[in-house]
Amino acid sequence: MIEFSGDFESEHAPEELWKYFTDPDILAQCAPGCDHIEQESESELSATIAVGVGSVKPTFDVDMTVVEADEPNHLVMEAGGDASRNSFEAVAEMTLTETEDGGTHAEWEADANVSGLIASLGQRALGSVADRLVNNFFDDLEELADEGVPAESKISAKPEATASLED
Amino acid sequence: MKPAAFEYHRPDSVAEATTLLADLGHDAELLAGNQSLGIIMANRLATPDHLVDLNRVEELSGYEIRDDEIDVGAMTTHRDLEFADDLRDVMPMLPEAAEQIAGPSVRNRGTLGGSIAEADPAGNYPAALVALDADLRVESTDDERTVAAREFFIAYMFTDLGPEEIITGVTVDREPFPVERTGMAFEELKRAAQTFPTVSAGTAVRVDDPDADEPVIEEARIALANVADVPLHVPDAEDAVEGTTLGEDALDEAAEAAIEAADPSPEMHADEEWKVELAGEYTRRSLRTAHTRAIND
Repeated sequence: MIEFSGDFESEHAPEELWKYFTDPDILAQCAPGCDHIEQESESELSATIAVGVGSVKPTFDVDMTVVEADEPNHLVMEAGGDASRNSFEAVAEMTLTETEDGGTHAEWEADANVSGLIASLGQRALGSVADRLVNNFFDDLEELADEGVPAESKISAKPEATASLED
Repeated sequence: MKPAAFEYHRPDSVAEATTLLADLGHDAELLAGNQSLGIIMANRLATPDHLVDLNRVEELSGYEIRDDEIDVGAMTTHRDLEFADDLRDVMPMLPEAAEQIAGPSVRNRGTLGGSIAEADPAGNYPAALVALDADLRVESTDDERTVAAREFFIAYMFTDLGPEEIITGVTVDREPFPVERTGMAFEELKRAAQTFPTVSAGTAVRVDDPDADEPVIEEARIALANVADVPLHVPDAEDAVEGTTLGEDALDEAAEAAIEAADPSPEMHADEEWKVELAGEYTRRSLRTAHTRAIND
């Protein structure tokens, strides 16, 4: 099990950011290495994402399920992906809190089981790259919000879904 | 093992190469010196569908020494840099970094651009270029940009280079490094010949007057390799020695700054604690060497 976590600050209020985090079109623009995202249902997304370290760059077919969506504070997603000789399962959780000046403080954490070639890179290498990718994602999302690109919340939690990750 | 099947492309120009990348996108990998990628592909750790070999792109090899800067093409080999005596006279850190890479067979084919793009935290050029505050030139079909080496390396083997971009070369400003008052060093510790170093340090020191009894350091530049997930620039170590005559106190403070900044991954032959200690020791050593050279050369 590999654990990732981090946080970021936004000038936009949680209510406003929430729309960006739950709009598949926005996610597709910000997600690193993302080719496209399809919305399969109210709470399910599928995507093709190419991410890697160095020249090891598998393209994952990823399925995501929204497990909790407590607007505009708390979002939990479960994701799994397969690529040639690589796979992963992950649960990611994000909490948005309003700051004193009306902005947002977001804290995120994710637990992942990774197998295949990518796993051989080890936690340090993966953690280093994952941090960078997630920060890029938040930066890009903040930029879209700054530009006032319209976003619409299109996903909600799957009824009775729970997230868990076995070691 | 042998690599998985791929389609091989061999452009003759940068324009041809960037057009190929624009068409192929994520499915293509650039081949520069072929000293790392070939092995990775033979082990099937990487299985790109297309390989774009830059070895025939002549416009990318060779270097130029101008009055204000040096310019090195991305496909210049380690061997060419190692034997570049005129470059050694004005920017000695680069030939010194080159001559310590692996063995002669790797240096014959390995290239500056390949090493930068691979971005191994233990690589020599990334640390040297971060120390020298070099600029990298990057091209794609519709854009040409310059990115500072200090911003280019962003995570473990992960760079600012886009899938459609090619590193075409490197420039280093000569203004901070007047030959008669500057000393440079690239010092590394290897557990065995021809391997990646455990820790290395690229250092440049400029003094006010090399003939003075106690020359004072006007400017210092220090970057370390393999003690963090990216080449580690250590401004606090630079601050510690600037304005001093490099006494023991200043050296201690610089070493302490490097130890503070280091955040290495442990390796089979070097645990974290030892690498942190080495970061301090190599900061100290390379500063001494560079300072001595600034005064005596």
